[in-house]
Amino acid sequence: MDMINGILTGLGTALSPINLMMVTVGCFVGTFIGMLPGLGPISAIALMIPITYGFDPATGMILMAGVYYGAIFGGSTSSILINAPGVAGTVATAFDGYPMARSGQAGKALAIAAYSSFSGGTIAAVFLLVAAPSLAIVSLAFQSTDYFALMVLGLTAVAAFAGKGNIVKALVMTVLGLMISTVGTDQTQGVQRFTMGMIDLTDGISFLLLAMATFALSEALMQVLRPKSDADRKREMEAQKNLGSMKLTPEDKREMAPVIGRSSVLGFIIGVLPGAGATIASFLAYGMEQRIAGPVKGKLFGKGSVRGLSAPETANNAACSGSFVPLLTLGIPGSGTTAIMLGALISYGVQPGPRLFVDNPGVFWSVIISMYIGNVVLLILNLPLIPYIARILAIPGTVLIPMILFFSLIGVYFVSFNTFDIQLMVIFAIAAVGLRLLEFPMAPMLLGFILGGMMEENLRRALIINNDSWSFLWERPLTFSILIIAAAILFVPMLMPYISRLLKRRQEAAGEGG
Amino acid sequence: MLTNDRIGGLLLLAFSVAYGLLTFDIPLLPFQAQAAFTARTMPEALSVLGIVLSLTMIIKPSSNARPEVAGFLWGRGAIICLVMVIYGLTVRPGGFLISTSLFLIAGILILGERRWWLVLVASVPVVVFFWILMTQLLGVFIEPWPEFLRG
Repeated sequence: MDMINGILTGLGTALSPINLMMVTVGCFVGTFIGMLPGLGPISAIALMIPITYGFDPATGMILMAGVYYGAIFGGSTSSILINAPGVAGTVATAFDGYPMARSGQAGKALAIAAYSSFSGGTIAAVFLLVAAPSLAIVSLAFQSTDYFALMVLGLTAVAAFAGKGNIVKALVMTVLGLMISTVGTDQTQGVQRFTMGMIDLTDGISFLLLAMATFALSEALMQVLRPKSDADRKREMEAQKNLGSMKLTPEDKREMAPVIGRSSVLGFIIGVLPGAGATIASFLAYGMEQRIAGPVKGKLFGKGSVRGLSAPETANNAACSGSFVPLLTLGIPGSGTTAIMLGALISYGVQPGPRLFVDNPGVFWSVIISMYIGNVVLLILNLPLIPYIARILAIPGTVLIPMILFFSLIGVYFVSFNTFDIQLMVIFAIAAVGLRLLEFPMAPMLLGFILGGMMEENLRRALIINNDSWSFLWERPLTFSILIIAAAILFVPMLMPYISRLLKRRQEAAGEGG
Repeated sequence: MLTNDRIGGLLLLAFSVAYGLLTFDIPLLPFQAQAAFTARTMPEALSVLGIVLSLTMIIKPSSNARPEVAGFLWGRGAIICLVMVIYGLTVRPGGFLISTSLFLIAGILILGERRWWLVLVASVPVVVFFWILMTQLLGVFIEPWPEFLRG
């Protein structure tokens, strides 16, 4: 009954004219920003945060959920049209979307992407509707010790997945984010840490500043340093001119249906896991469908296959919904994007976690419902308008890059009205450019920064409850189990090459002996 | 060989050591000396972790990849950063409208745009529209004029 009441409350909030307008605006803005190569949902949401500060929390979150979906869809559009994924989550979309566009079927490819995203998002929204409240009820029993362990799990999982095979690099970035989070006044003892006597650092570094500097600003600086070639620019102009028909044949639909079903389930499950998210979901779905397709249809993958395009698009949208489960129920973001949403929620005065479901059911349910509405908006408004929206690709970089720089700088300045923040942002952006050139992932740092304060607070509380004893780490079964999972995520991939080498050597020895 | 991992490892090692040294500056009250958790605990653990991980990267780099920076326009990047710093210093005394318009004009010109109509259309009207949006619609007050023109 509570759930039905909650859904009705959520529907009431999400369907109010102002929130409907917000989700629509969010989808449009997200699509525009997501389409710009290099700028993904994190930058898009970060750019919107200053505007939403005066809003009601539910309205702000609804706008951001719209921006999130829009940015993913925009990323798919640039992947398909110009083979330039805005975000890692849409890289797999380009494998078959771009060849399809090159063969004169750009419109069809965009339609497949839109219908798959819509279906994946819709199915996942239903899963979210069921999974989130159940997990929220269970997580009410969680204690500080469990939260500390969950945060360790979230950070190690992000490091393991975002590191693209280099866990140490991702772990270093996580630690760097945790270090930056300690700058400012200590929450409990009130002493200043790492402020070096600067009054501007007393309140610490804002997450918005760090997110804008390390994502939007550093990406724009990268484009300043590495300008596009004339051939690239010509390709972008050509791509947005002729999209072709957006109609799908009955055969296309028949081929897409089972793919959507499988990829939605896979995407949602992967999305719920902390750290995994849209990128891994899309690649796994692509790989799975390629294997299922059989030798004949499997050969079409990479050459414009309907299945190859539908699978990653469905999975990445389903994973986006899935990633809201740990955010809304545990207050622990599973990805860089949900980390920035967590920061936004905290700045609205809303603490995500199991109590959100009890204390702020309006926010909880309206965000879930608005995700579905966001999908509808994307399908009925954005898809027909894509030929017009795609014209953003024709805006010269000479104009677009200064605009991104301006919106990034002013977005942070408008929150604090402190010019020191602009100088600090430039320093962070330069450091981020250096780290990007050295191939260090940025998402683990942002997650470390956002979770740092909460992690320290929960650890401190756990120690107080346990009379300054660290034994809770192994004595409380739930905490211990979560830490074991975290250790497994971290060490199993590291040890796998050694284990497989050992097994191979044994097999060879057995072969020689036989 | 100076690989990506080693360069990054060295930089982060220096940062972690400096961070570790600064943890000694965090003041502790006398009764906290024996406490299991103080304001220094987390920073100390992080600096040790940072040092260990960056040393791992230096000693055992995961790949031999080196930074690919051929053809990068470093001078242009440096000028853009300088313009951003100047914008930060002038946005308050210079007022939002003038300083932001000049920032956009400078940015567009530095990036190589020479069509003056485009430079002007993409700067002044955008800034004025944004100012109206923030002040009139969203209720955020932004000082539009320079200090010497304010009453």
